[in-house]
Amino acid sequence: MKMFFQKLGRMPTVLTMPAFAVLLVVFGMPIILLFLSSLNAPVFSLVNYQAFFGQPANIRVLYQTAEISAVATAICLVIGYPAAYLMVAASKRLRTTLIVLVIIPYLTSGLVRTYAWVVILGDRGLINNLLLDLGLISSPLPLIYSRIALYIGMVHIMLPLMILPLISVMMGIDRSLMAAGRSMGARPFDTFWRIFFPLSIPGVRSGCLLVFVICLGFYITPAALGGIGDAMLSTFIASQVQTSFNMARVSAAAFVLLGLAVVVLSIFGLDLSGTQGRTAQSTRNSWRSRPFDLMKRRVSELLTPLRAKRWKAQLYRAGSDSRWSNIVGTVFVVLVMFYLLLPELLVVIMSFSAGSFLEFPPPGLSLQWYRSFFGDPSWYDAAWISIKIGVVVAILSTIVGTLAAYGINRTLPRLRSFLTLVILTPITFPVIVVGIAAYLGLLKLGLLGSMTGIVLAHSIGAIGYVVVIVAATLANFDPRLEQAAKSMRAGPLQTFVRVTLPLIRPGIIGGAVFAFLSSFDEIVVTSLVGGLAIRTLPLKMWEGIRHQIDPTIAAVASLMILVPVFGLIVLYLSGLRPSPAGKRALPDVAA
Amino acid sequence: MNISINRRRFIQSTSAIALGAMSCGAGRALAQPSNELRVSVYGGDVGKANVEAYVKPFEAETGIKVTAIPDDVTLPQIELMVTSNNTTVDVVGASSALAHTANLKSLLEQIDYSIFKKDELDAILDFAKKPFGVAGLVYGIPMVYSTEKFPPTGPQPTSWADFWDVEKFPGVRTLETGQGGEEGPWEEALLADGVAADKIYPMDIDRVFASLDKIKPHIRKWWTSGSEGQQLFHDKAVDIGNCYDGRAILLIDQGAPLKINRNQSKLTNDYWVIPKGSPNVQNAQKFIEFATRADRQAAFAKLVPYGPINRNAFKLLPEEVGLKLPSHPKLLANSIVMDTQWYTEVGSGGKTNIERLQERWNEWVI
Repeated sequence: MKMFFQKLGRMPTVLTMPAFAVLLVVFGMPIILLFLSSLNAPVFSLVNYQAFFGQPANIRVLYQTAEISAVATAICLVIGYPAAYLMVAASKRLRTTLIVLVIIPYLTSGLVRTYAWVVILGDRGLINNLLLDLGLISSPLPLIYSRIALYIGMVHIMLPLMILPLISVMMGIDRSLMAAGRSMGARPFDTFWRIFFPLSIPGVRSGCLLVFVICLGFYITPAALGGIGDAMLSTFIASQVQTSFNMARVSAAAFVLLGLAVVVLSIFGLDLSGTQGRTAQSTRNSWRSRPFDLMKRRVSELLTPLRAKRWKAQLYRAGSDSRWSNIVGTVFVVLVMFYLLLPELLVVIMSFSAGSFLEFPPPGLSLQWYRSFFGDPSWYDAAWISIKIGVVVAILSTIVGTLAAYGINRTLPRLRSFLTLVILTPITFPVIVVGIAAYLGLLKLGLLGSMTGIVLAHSIGAIGYVVVIVAATLANFDPRLEQAAKSMRAGPLQTFVRVTLPLIRPGIIGGAVFAFLSSFDEIVVTSLVGGLAIRTLPLKMWEGIRHQIDPTIAAVASLMILVPVFGLIVLYLSGLRPSPAGKRALPDVAA
Repeated sequence: MNISINRRRFIQSTSAIALGAMSCGAGRALAQPSNELRVSVYGGDVGKANVEAYVKPFEAETGIKVTAIPDDVTLPQIELMVTSNNTTVDVVGASSALAHTANLKSLLEQIDYSIFKKDELDAILDFAKKPFGVAGLVYGIPMVYSTEKFPPTGPQPTSWADFWDVEKFPGVRTLETGQGGEEGPWEEALLADGVAADKIYPMDIDRVFASLDKIKPHIRKWWTSGSEGQQLFHDKAVDIGNCYDGRAILLIDQGAPLKINRNQSKLTNDYWVIPKGSPNVQNAQKFIEFATRADRQAAFAKLVPYGPINRNAFKLLPEEVGLKLPSHPKLLANSIVMDTQWYTEVGSGGKTNIERLQERWNEWVI
């Protein structure tokens, strides 16, 4: 047994095996077949790709898809980075609360959230009504059906996915490094820019990667909020699937989208691990390259001892001059939370509506939609099935994904990018194509229409989330700690459980949460592999959506929000201190 | 023509090979006479009405145990089920385009019209009887406008030519998106351009888009689902547009200042179809025959405002209820029944007209 683990320790790639086994069986073989059919096998021709690029509309929409995804990712980073930074700097308790608040929007189905934005931005929506009532405008502003509205909706959906990887990486950064920098006379901005920021790069990368890749596949939000021309490639693919379902052409379009992801990701780098050294290097080089900066730097260096002295003085002075930055920071975090939670608040209010469809403000108050939920076994049965599937998916993909991330982290850099890309394929692909592939894969296993089948199909995507988030945490992990443990005669397993695991716990928890949530909100793949036999909650929510929205989904969403809030209250009341920080091995200097 | 069909068949057969290769080993029990039936009935109000008007009475009459699946079934679902010999649903409520496309791909059983009673069969509207399916309900996509914007005291729009006349009827407009290829603002565009109602098909696609060019700057939003169309009128985000009649009736019943103009209203219908390989084909045939009887159709129309396909159903409905339904003989005369046959025809280039419209739309709309 011991031998086995020692062997494992020496061959890290082996750890990725379980992840690839699941991927290959459920998804890999059918995807290869789809690729062959996109090439018109067995004749092999590029006719489907020629047909795709022969249509100028496709090229324009491809460009537009990349543009919208890139801008949405950039906005997420600009908002998410400071938010994550401030959250990490907060006290443990406050931080836990804020993290839960960030996750809450993710518990609400994407459909409901998009709808809430329609209600907020619409011509008779919250903002326009407010401005009209205040007499600031005489006719409604055209907020909705514009590119801006599209970004507001997309960033709202994606922001948690940017913030969580950032937090999990930032929590692993040893704050004493910054203190050391300050004590040696670095200016606050310098300590941030030259110490903290380079160390947080893995989080930035993995956050951007996840957000960008998922944005590529968007199609409901652009249709509901975007302007008249704001189509994305997945919109085209989805409607093609509905009208003709020409497998060869649809797969060609899907592989083009994957190609786009590969191109963009290879520009920004797929390698999630071990890059902080290089980044720091390049920053330094850029400092040196410009003569003006060089001079400024010289002058600044002269002042260094002075600053070092002052920092020491400040350290012992109560109520430092950072009050203003505290206020600005607090206001910023409050605004971000407001942005994230406003739609949730509206959904909760609309769920008590006495009207017959979702509207704001509700024409009257009633509990009819809650009665409709609890009075109909098909609703709570569906909720229970979704929770069961989500928990199993979270457990499976967290174990398999963490192992894979660990393996990828320890393997050769060149192999690393390739393996990461392969694991991310199910997230990058248009979800309908993933569904078809999973259907074909599960068919072979005889698992269509079974819970096991749905769990496997959900896991192929969930593993990707876990790998990206855990890999980001691992990037800052100092392998010398493991070497130290081993030098003191700890076995590989013992080292992993007692040293590595506690240190990367924030990433693992974050990964597990997103694995659960991605399964909990999944609809397209489930509807294909469920064989019309298993009714999950999202399937139940989408019933009849072609004609109308059943307001019961607002009640369901509200109940879903209650779960984490209730959990938080229990945590507080029991005085049980949650410790997502996992910093046992390091002195806590964050506060 | 021949070449194009061959190419299409070829593409289909390659994907069938891909599917076939995957389906090895998934053994299926052979169909046997059974006392069961699985029907997909849609969700929401329509789903509930389908259960009340058809499923429950059918169970009571025949003793067959029916499982109603409250969901929409999509083309990939049907194709994957049939090509992998894994059909898990016997009767599907399908949109017109879905039914025609599935039929084109040979995914559907033929309807056994021999079990229909003659007087019932004769009363069923002609366009509702297809070899591969029988219509279950008719819905309209009429013009809807705000009576605040166009009050009865002034001129009110009565035709699509009026809709295109932005000088005489200024206002913010909406039309259904054409991204699906089938339901789209095509017929409206041709009617506005002066094409006679009986000369719409076969459609001149160039003329459609030339006409759409003129109205494009005045469109606020191409709506993509019934609930979105409803939202636009509810929020007064638009003054005039087309909309599913059921959605508009709901708004008007709630007091919204809207009016439906049934003249030149587009009509289409959903079909009951049987996917190939259904394990309970005979029961499925019986169910479809049952659901198209006049009394059942009338019971359904009383629950939700969709049009019966059986003329005799109107005899069982009060006149004021019947006149709200798009397939009422009086309304039918001024309506345009969508020619789904034309939509699913394969033209030059090996593409159906749906696909041609879809590609052209994608090109045009950005």
